[in-house]
Amino acid sequence: MRSAAGWLKRFARTLVVVVMVVSGSTVLMRFAPGYLSDAREMDSRYGDAARVELSAEAARSASLKQLLWTEFGGWTRGNLGVSRQYEVPVAELIVPRLAVTGGLLLRAIVLAWTLSICAALVSSAGRTPSLIWQLPSTLLLAVPTAAMATICMLSDRGGPVLVMTFLVAARDFKFLDRMLRKAWRDPHLLQARAQGLTIFRLVYAHILPSIASQLLALATFSIVTALSALVPVEVIFSVPGLGQLAWSAAMNRDLPVLLAVTTIMAVAVTFAGMPGDGAREWQGV
Amino acid sequence: MKSRIAAWWLLSALVAIAIAVLALPGRSYSNQDREQPLAGASAQHPAGTDGLGRDRMVRVAAAFLLSLGGAILASAATTAAAAGVGTLSAFSPATLGRFAMLVCDVFLALPWLFLLMMVRSALPLTTSPAHSASVTFLVLAALGWPACARAVYRGSLELRDAEWMLQARAGGLRGTQIVRHVLPNLMPLLLPQFLICIPAFIIAEANLGALGLGIGEPLPSWGGMLHELDNSAMLLRTPWVYLPIGLLILVLLLLEAIALEV
Repeated sequence: MRSAAGWLKRFARTLVVVVMVVSGSTVLMRFAPGYLSDAREMDSRYGDAARVELSAEAARSASLKQLLWTEFGGWTRGNLGVSRQYEVPVAELIVPRLAVTGGLLLRAIVLAWTLSICAALVSSAGRTPSLIWQLPSTLLLAVPTAAMATICMLSDRGGPVLVMTFLVAARDFKFLDRMLRKAWRDPHLLQARAQGLTIFRLVYAHILPSIASQLLALATFSIVTALSALVPVEVIFSVPGLGQLAWSAAMNRDLPVLLAVTTIMAVAVTFAGMPGDGAREWQGV
Repeated sequence: MKSRIAAWWLLSALVAIAIAVLALPGRSYSNQDREQPLAGASAQHPAGTDGLGRDRMVRVAAAFLLSLGGAILASAATTAAAAGVGTLSAFSPATLGRFAMLVCDVFLALPWLFLLMMVRSALPLTTSPAHSASVTFLVLAALGWPACARAVYRGSLELRDAEWMLQARAGGLRGTQIVRHVLPNLMPLLLPQFLICIPAFIIAEANLGALGLGIGEPLPSWGGMLHELDNSAMLLRTPWVYLPIGLLILVLLLLEAIALEV
C-alpha cells in the first residue's frame, strides 16, 4: 500500500515536471527574439507571404494563456502543431522517426552497458585503478561526439551504434568502476571472499543487490548521455531519426518541430528517472 | 599531485603561446590570403590555411582562447548560481526548498543539446558572431547549474543541521553571517564542480559548432574547425587539418587531469 502511494506520488511529481517542461519550453520559444522572423522574409519572392504567415502567428500567440491552452489541448489530442518547414503536421514527421531513434538508443545503451559492466568488473578487482582501463575511457570522453562520428565515417569503420556505445560505455565505466571498487571493499564482502564464495555468487548475490539503486540512477544517466550524442551522430551518419529532424528544424527555424522533439525527449528522461527515484527511496538513500 | 601541477603548467604554456600567436603583428583570425587557400605549412602560415585562405594557427589560437575563456566564465556563473540556489533553498522553509529542487528537476529533464538548439535557432537572423558566442556560453551556464545545485542543497542541509551551525544560529548570527560561514565549507563541493564544468562546456560548444549552430563565422570555434574534417580532399592534402582536434583533445585531457585531483 505504502509502495503504491509512493509510486503515485512519484508519478504526480513526474507529471508536474512534464507540465512545467512543456510550459517553460513554449514560453521560452514564444518570447525568443527570433520567433517571429523567417529566412523567407529576405527573399522578395516569398517575403510577403512569409510576413502574412508571421502576423497570423503573432495574433495567434499574442496571449500567453491562450497559447499554453492551445498547446496543451493539442498535445492531449495528439496534435503537435504544423511544421513551418515541411507544412505537414509535426506528429506525421515524428512518429516514423521514433522507431529509428528508439532502436538506435536501445542497441547503443545495451551494448554500452554490457561493455562497461564487463570492463568495470575486471578493472575493479585490481587493487588500484589501472591505466589500461582508465586511459581508453578518459580518451573517449575527451573527443567530442561530432569529431568521433566524423573520424569513424572517414575511416569507414563503425557506425552510429558504435559511436554512441563508446560514448555511453566510457562515461558509465567511470561510475561503475568507482561503485564496484567501493562495493568490493565492503567488510561483509571481504568476509564472503575469505570464506571462498565464487566470483559469480559474490557478484550476483552480494554486489549487484547492494548497488541496485545506483545502477538504476546510472541507467537514467545513460539515457541522458545517449540523447546528448543523438543529434551529432544522426546528422553525421544521416540516420533519419529524431536527432536529425531536430537539427534540420533548428537550421530552418522550424520551432514547432523543435519544441515537440525537445518535449518528447524531456518526457522520456523524466519517466526514465522514475524507477531510479523509487529504488533510492526504497533503500532509504 | 605532480600530474596536476604538470597539467597546470602545460595549460598555462598553451595559453601563453596562443596569446603570443595572436599578438604577432599583422595576424588576425579573419584575414584572408586569397592567393593561398588550403595551403600547406609554410614560413608565412606555419600550420597552413583553411579553405578561405585564413591562417590556421591564428584561428586555432583564437578558438582556444575564446572557448577556454567562455567555458571558464560560464562555469563560474553556473557554480555561483548553484551555490546561491542550493544554499538559499537549504536555509529557507522546507516547502521553498522542495520547490527549488522541483525546478532543478525540470532543468535536469530538459536535454541540454535540444534546448540549446532551440534557443540558438530562435535568435534573430541578424545575430552577430560575438552575440552568438555570448548566447551559446550564457545558455550553457543557464543549463549547467541544477545538478550542482542539488549537490549543494544536500551539503547545505548537512551544514544546517551541524552542531556548530545550531550553536551559531542560537547565538544570533544573521543570515549574511551564516552564508559567510557556509560558503567556505561548501568549497570542496563547488571547486570540483567548477573544474568539471569547464571541459563539459568546451565539448558542448564544439558539438554545437560542428552542427553549424555554435559560434558564427568569422569568429573561430572548435566546432567550426571540426567541419574541415568533413572534407576528405583537404585531409589528404595537409595533416595540419588535424591540429584543432588534436589540440582540443589535449586541452580536455589537461583540464580533466586538473579536475580529477582536486
